[in-house]
Amino acid sequence: MDTIRQDVRYALRMLWKHRFATFVCAGALALGMGANTAIFSMAEAFLLHPVPLDEVNRLVAVVDSKPHQNIETTSIATATYLEWQEQARSFDRLGAYSWDGVNFTGDGTPQKIQDFRVTTNFFTTLGVQPHLGRDFLPEEGEPGRNQELILSYGLWERRYAADPKILGKVVKVDGKPFTIVGVMGKGFDFPVSAEAWLPMAFDAKQRVDRDHRPLWVLGHLKPGVSFEQANAEMLTIAQHQAAAFPDAYKDWQLRVMPLGEFATGDLTRQYTLLLLGAVGFVLLIACADVANVQFARVSGRQKELAVRAAMGATRTRIVRQLLIESVMLSLFGAALGIFLAQWILSVILSHMPPDIARYIAGWKSIHLDFGAFLFTFAVALASGLLSGIAPSLMSSRTNISETLKESGRGASSGRARHRLRSALVVAEVSLSLVLLVGAGLLVKGFNALLIVNQQYHPETLLTLNLNLPELQYPQKSARATFHDRLLPSLSSIPQVQSVALATTVPYGNGGGTGADRFLIEGRPVEQREESRTAIMETVSPSYFAVMSIGLRDGRVFTDSDGDGAQPVAVISRSLASRYFAGENPLGKKVQVPASKLETWLTVVGIVDDVRYNWIQKDALPTLYRPYRQNPTYYTTVVLRTDGDTAKFTSAVRSKIAALDPDLPIYEVKPLNQVITESIVGISYVAAMMAGIGIIALVLASVGVYGVMSYSVSERTHEMGIRMAMGASHGAINRLVVGNGMLLTGIGIAIGLPLAFGLARALSSLLFGVSAADPFAFIGLPLILGVVAFLASYLPARRAVRIDPLTALRYE
Amino acid sequence: MEPLIQFRNLEKSYDAGGSKFFVLRRINLAIQQGEFVTIMGPSGAGKSTLLSIIGMLDSAWAGEYFFLGEAVHQLNTKKRNELHKANIGFVFQSYHLIDNLTVFENLEVPLSYKNVPHKERVSLVCDALDRFHIVGKKDLFPNQLSGGQQQLVGVARAVILHPKLLLADEPTGNLHSAQGDEIMQLFKKLNDAGTTIIQVTHSERNAAYGNRIVQLKDGWVVNESAAATVQSA
Repeated sequence: MDTIRQDVRYALRMLWKHRFATFVCAGALALGMGANTAIFSMAEAFLLHPVPLDEVNRLVAVVDSKPHQNIETTSIATATYLEWQEQARSFDRLGAYSWDGVNFTGDGTPQKIQDFRVTTNFFTTLGVQPHLGRDFLPEEGEPGRNQELILSYGLWERRYAADPKILGKVVKVDGKPFTIVGVMGKGFDFPVSAEAWLPMAFDAKQRVDRDHRPLWVLGHLKPGVSFEQANAEMLTIAQHQAAAFPDAYKDWQLRVMPLGEFATGDLTRQYTLLLLGAVGFVLLIACADVANVQFARVSGRQKELAVRAAMGATRTRIVRQLLIESVMLSLFGAALGIFLAQWILSVILSHMPPDIARYIAGWKSIHLDFGAFLFTFAVALASGLLSGIAPSLMSSRTNISETLKESGRGASSGRARHRLRSALVVAEVSLSLVLLVGAGLLVKGFNALLIVNQQYHPETLLTLNLNLPELQYPQKSARATFHDRLLPSLSSIPQVQSVALATTVPYGNGGGTGADRFLIEGRPVEQREESRTAIMETVSPSYFAVMSIGLRDGRVFTDSDGDGAQPVAVISRSLASRYFAGENPLGKKVQVPASKLETWLTVVGIVDDVRYNWIQKDALPTLYRPYRQNPTYYTTVVLRTDGDTAKFTSAVRSKIAALDPDLPIYEVKPLNQVITESIVGISYVAAMMAGIGIIALVLASVGVYGVMSYSVSERTHEMGIRMAMGASHGAINRLVVGNGMLLTGIGIAIGLPLAFGLARALSSLLFGVSAADPFAFIGLPLILGVVAFLASYLPARRAVRIDPLTALRYE
Repeated sequence: MEPLIQFRNLEKSYDAGGSKFFVLRRINLAIQQGEFVTIMGPSGAGKSTLLSIIGMLDSAWAGEYFFLGEAVHQLNTKKRNELHKANIGFVFQSYHLIDNLTVFENLEVPLSYKNVPHKERVSLVCDALDRFHIVGKKDLFPNQLSGGQQQLVGVARAVILHPKLLLADEPTGNLHSAQGDEIMQLFKKLNDAGTTIIQVTHSERNAAYGNRIVQLKDGWVVNESAAATVQSA
C-alpha cells in the first residue's frame, strides 16, 4: 500500500510536469467518457428504470405478436384476458389497461386528458397505492358502477392546485359525473403519459369478444415463479385457446415480456444500443490516442525505467507504476467527463418538447446518479488500463544494460513500438470512418424525412384536435352536423384559405397510427385472417386539396357523399397496388368490420400515398371515408393559412367555443411542429450521432497528428542525413505526409466494409437511408482523408524546417 | 574461501547477418569477496557488457556464472532479480538519478523495490544522508546539484542497502579530477569496510585505487595484474 502511495505521488508529479500532454489526453478521454456517461445515463433510464416501480423485476407484460407480419407487440381481446385470469397460476395478480382520452369539463377550462381505463386490480398488480385517497374497489369494475377516477400527481397540481380536499369532488368526464377517489404519488405516470385512471368495466358482449384487442395485460409473478415458468404456462394456455377458437388466434403468438422491456419499446432500445455502441467506439478511439501519447512519453523515459530496473524494480513494478500513471490520467479525464456528461444531459433534456418527453418511458429519470459515477469510474479504470497496458509492457521490456550505456539509445523495441502505434492509428481511422458513415446516414435519413413532407407546406397548416363527447354527440347525425357547422365557421376566419377534417394528420399522435382490418368483396373467407389492414381516415372532401394529396384515378369525395348517398371510399396507391394488383380497384367494394356496420363501400378514387411516421420505411395503405358517412368523435382540423399560423389560434378557439363552449381543443400546432415533434426522437439520435462522428473525426486526426509528429521527432537525425544528401523540402514533405496518408488509407480500407455493414443495418431501419450512399462511401472517406492530410502536413512542415547541421549533431 | 564471482567460459555474442559477432569470449575469471577490481581496455572491448552481466542486468549470454556459489546461469529471471537486489549496487558514469525525484526520494528508490517498510526506509535514507554529508540537499532535485554531488547521491543510493558488491561504470568519467578523487576515496573506504568493488574505467589513476586490474581486448581477457599502488585516504 505504501509503495502504491509512492507510485501515485510520482504519477501525479509526472502528469503535472507534462501538463500539456496531460490536458490533451485528459481532454480526449473526457470527450469519450463524457459521451459515454451521458449515453449510459440515458440507457440506464430507458433500459433499467423505464417505469417508476419497486417491483418492476417481478412484473411482466403479456402481449401478442405476429412475427411473420412484423407485428412485435400488440394488445389482446377482453375474452382472452378474462380466461387468462381464470387459468393462469403463475401470477398472483393479473391486471389490464387500455388507452383512452377524455374531456374534463364543468370545473374550469375544458381540457383533454390522457387517461387510461384500468382493471380495478391494476394498481395492486403494479404494487403501488395512491398518495391520497384510495385504490379502486372490486365492485367499481362492474358496468354502471365505474364512476370513480384517480388523478395523477401532476394533474392534481396543475388543474386543482394540489387541493388537499380534492377527494370526493365530482368532475365531468366526457359529460358524465365521476368522483375523484385518489391521487397517485409524485412521479408515477404508468402507463407513460397517464394523467388519470378510470375503472374499466366489461359488459356481457365485451366478455366474449375475441376480435377487438383493446387490453394491455400486466402480471405480477407469484413468489418462486420464474419468468420462464410463467412464459411456459401462458404458452400452454394460448395453445388451448387457439385450439378452441382457431379463427380468432390464427398466426398469433403469445409473448411474455419483462415490464421494463415492454415499457421501453423496441425502437428506443435499438437506438439506445446504437448510441451506446457509437460512444463505446469514441472511447476506444480516445484510448488509442492516449496510448499513442503514452508511447511517446514512456519512450522519453527509457533511461529512468532502466535505472529503476537496475535499482531492483521488477517488470511488474515498472508496469504497475506506468499503469498507475495512465489510470490517474484517466481518472482526471473522467472527472472532466462527468462535467461534460452533465452538460450534454442538460442540453438533451432542455431541448426535448414536454409534449414528447411525457411519452418516453424513463425520460423523467434521466440524471447522473451513483450508477453513472460508478460506470464512469469503471470506464476510467478500464480506459487507463487499456491505454496504458501496451506502452507499459513494451517499455518494461527495454534492454537495461544497452539503455544505461553512455549514448545508448535503448531503442531495441523501437520498431515494434512504431508498428503498434501505426496499428493504433489505423484502428482509429477505421473506427472513426464507421462512426462518420453511421452519423452521415442518420443525418441524411433525417433530412429525407423532412424533405418528403415539404410537398404540402406544413408550415402554413394549423392543426388542432377535437374529441366530441359521446354523451353530447351520441348520434352520427349530431356529429356530422357539428362538423358541417364547423367547416364554414372556420373558413370564414379572414386569411384562412381552406379548412379540412381528418381522423389523423401525418405525424399526428406522435406518428402512432392504428390500422384496422378490412374485407374485399368476393375474396375467399379463408384469406380474411391475412394482414389485410389499412389506416382508416375519415376526411372532409377538402382534405386532399389542403394536404396536396394528388388524385391518381377516379375521384375524391364531394359534398354529395352524404349519409343517404352510396357509401364510398378512396384508397391510397399503396393499398391499390398491394391488394388490387393487376386489377382496377375502382368500383370494387370493401368493408370495415370495426365500424360495426355491414355496409360495403365502393372504391371511387385512388390518391397518392402520405407518409404517416418515420418508423415505417414503406408507405402505409390508407382507406379514406367521407365524414358525412362516418362522422367520428375524434377529429383533427387542418387549416391552410397564409403563413403565420400562430395568429389564428384565438380566432379558431372562439369559433369553436361559439359552436360548443364545453368542447376542449388541444394540440393546437402548425403541422411542421407536429412533424418536428414526432421525429424528435430520431432527430436526437441523428444529432447525437453527428456529434459523435465529429468527435471521432477530431480524435482520429489528433491520433494521426500525434503519430506523425512523434515520428518526425524520432527521425530528426534521419531527416538531417536525407537533407544533407540533397533531399528537397518536397521530398521530405512527401515522406512524412505519404506515411500519414498510407496509415489513413489502410484505416479507410478496413473501415469501409465495416461501415457498409452498418449502413445496411441502418437502411433497413430508416427511411431515406441507402446502403450504397455515395456521400457516405465517397464523400466521408474523402473528408477523413483531407483531415488526415492536414494532420500529417503540420508535422511535415516541421520536418522540412530541420537544420541538417543541428540534426546531425542530434544525439 | 568461496569466490564472490566465478565465470567459466562466459561468452556473449550478437547475430550479425548470419554470422556471430562476439562481444565477450571464453571469460574465465574469479573475484574474491573484499577485492577492488578494475576492468580496463579500449572502447568496444566488452568492459561495460561484462559489468552488466556481473550485475545481472544482462541475461543473454552463454557459459557459467556463479555468485557466492549460486549458479546464476541456472536461475530464472525472478531468482536472478532477487539475487541482484540482495547483493549488488550500481554507480553509473552519468549518475542516472531520476530527474523528477528529490535526493531523498532517489535514495528511497532501491529500498521501495525491496519492500522495506516506510519507517525503516526513512531511517535508512537519513543514515545515508548523514553518512555522505548531504542532509542539506535532501529536498533538492538532481538538476539543482553539481556533478560531484549527483555522483555522491548515486554512490549513496548504490550502497544504501549495504550490498556485498558495488559495480561502477566509469564513476568519475563526468567529473573533474578533484570531484573524481573524492568519489574514489569514498570507494576505497567502502572497500576497506568490506564491500567488494568492480569498476570499469579508462583512468590509470582510478585503477590505482583498486588491487587488481583485468585487461579486456576484443572481448578476451588479455591480462590480469595487481594494481600499482593502493592509496588510502
